[in-house]
Amino acid sequence: MSLVMSFTVKNLLPATICSIRSNFPSSIHKYSTGPSKTSSNVLDHLTDWETLSKNRKTSKAMKAYLERAKEHDEFMKRQHLEFNIGKRHLANMMGEDPETFTQKDVDRAIEYLFPSGIYDPAARPLMKPPEEVFPARKAAEFDEAGRPHHFLFYTGKPSFFKVLYDAAEHIQALNKFEDKVIRKKATPDPNGSLKLEGSVWLTKEQLEQSLVESIKEIEYENFKVVMERLVSSPYAYLCKDFIEKYRKPLAMQRFALEIPKPSYDEEGRAFITTYECLRKKARGEVTIRYPGSGKISINGKDITYFEDIQPREQVMFPLIFSGMQNSVDVECHIEGGGPSGQAGAIRWGIAWSLRSFVEKDMLEKMQVAGLLTRDHRRRERKKPGQPGARKKPTWKKR
Amino acid sequence: MNFNSRFLNKKLCNYHFRNCIRWFVVQNRLYAKATSFPDFFQNPIFRKEDQAKLIENSELAKLAAVPVRPPASYETCSVYHDPLVNKVINHVMEMGKKQLARSLVEKAFENIKRIQIERYHLAQTQEEKNKIELNPKSILYNAVENCKPLLQLSPIKRGGITYQVPGPITEKRSLFLSIKWLLEATNDKERTVHFPEQFAWELLDAANNTGKVVKRKQDLHRQCEANRAYAHYRWQ
Repeated sequence: MSLVMSFTVKNLLPATICSIRSNFPSSIHKYSTGPSKTSSNVLDHLTDWETLSKNRKTSKAMKAYLERAKEHDEFMKRQHLEFNIGKRHLANMMGEDPETFTQKDVDRAIEYLFPSGIYDPAARPLMKPPEEVFPARKAAEFDEAGRPHHFLFYTGKPSFFKVLYDAAEHIQALNKFEDKVIRKKATPDPNGSLKLEGSVWLTKEQLEQSLVESIKEIEYENFKVVMERLVSSPYAYLCKDFIEKYRKPLAMQRFALEIPKPSYDEEGRAFITTYECLRKKARGEVTIRYPGSGKISINGKDITYFEDIQPREQVMFPLIFSGMQNSVDVECHIEGGGPSGQAGAIRWGIAWSLRSFVEKDMLEKMQVAGLLTRDHRRRERKKPGQPGARKKPTWKKR
Repeated sequence: MNFNSRFLNKKLCNYHFRNCIRWFVVQNRLYAKATSFPDFFQNPIFRKEDQAKLIENSELAKLAAVPVRPPASYETCSVYHDPLVNKVINHVMEMGKKQLARSLVEKAFENIKRIQIERYHLAQTQEEKNKIELNPKSILYNAVENCKPLLQLSPIKRGGITYQVPGPITEKRSLFLSIKWLLEATNDKERTVHFPEQFAWELLDAANNTGKVVKRKQDLHRQCEANRAYAHYRWQ
């Protein structure tokens, strides 16, 4: 028993299983006493399961588990040791203090010492602490006699099915509550509604990681169906905690944070410069001066720098949208790429700089219009064996 | 050190315990160059009238909390941007030459305007003048609307014989057919006649509910009516 307790238990449902394990003998005691648990004399007449289970041989499964767990523990210890030594070596190589060498420094050092042009970042050299490299494992799910702790143990995926089970219970409870409210002829509390726009369900991989169980595609679909049904209830806010455990927030609202204060030039006009305006292969910088008269200069020329109408429209888009086309001056330097990419880069640069000169609700409008989103898409590479990035050769039977 | 973590992992997988312990190698694939936006990005709402609707329903603040895709490089909030016109331009376009396609459609609009203004000045009374539509964009809208079929014939094989079975048509497909027919009628021309002129005539005819394309639509409807006896093959 004590051996089991000493293992590092990670990333499982710690609350349930650990608590079961810690007060394990007492629970046996409780079961054995049954309904009559008044005096100590009664105890003497009943079978003492506790000592019996102690005397009984440990099951084969438990033995195998103990062996494995021991091996894994030793392995992890070794890995830790090696990692720490490696870290110190790295620190010395980089001429820094090994005591204050953090993981961030390690990543930086690896990038410097092993430069890699491999396309996929997952394939580049890395040095992470062993806990991150080696996935978490579950602790023993059964006692020494081989009896499982979890009531869903024989499903093979206890924690996953526990989630579904809990969700179904919540749905039933909410239905009952709804019936009660309807009988009382009341309406749902409008303030208590859930806010789910800013988050999504955990992905399959994230769910697997949090449950320490591998699940199939169809099981994940079932999980989503059940959770959607739970959320669709008008009283879903009552089990907000349960729902939020399985949701991940989306990228945060960044446009409203850190709006730069404009600086002032010698004429006393406010100006903001946005560097690194990127789109496709174009890159450049955009300066906006306020107040102005709507002058636009692109690489020293006016808007006729672009010969086509479409890129000109793109440059004017944020100015017209915010109604500032006659009150600011725009000056940009742009290079690389074609007219479409350059116009896209300037569009984003203007919109990003305009944040300092427009009101809060206009900011929101610009966000909804997608003007403040950087278009980070790049050309997708051609794949060998096919004529393009996605295009496949014409299918021939033979 | 942990550089060769993947090999170690393989080794570890050999100790496999029946059903309680599983290994996962979870790796987030963060590609250096993303080629598309994730699914949770919403489509942008950038036209002024659409945004005014949002403000009326007070949904703007809610939407502002969600990540939004940037508008495409052909989309603007200017009054000259129109989704249907853009659709037509894309149908006219060949081999990605959008600039040429756009100039052709705009030239056709210019021709429509010229023809209509001529008619306007030739009209005798004020009543006749009021009847003449001068806006090419609304003529395009009317033309496309008049050419949209309501039914379609789909071939269904029953007992070795293929029947042309009438059935309902989706909104999207009827729009597609309408634009396709207009362009087919336009391209069916003499070599000396240029595309913008012919397209202008076709649009004016269709907006007036006459011409080749409207006739083609009515032919289809007539055939659907003739084949109504086969309609049950759709579900039998």
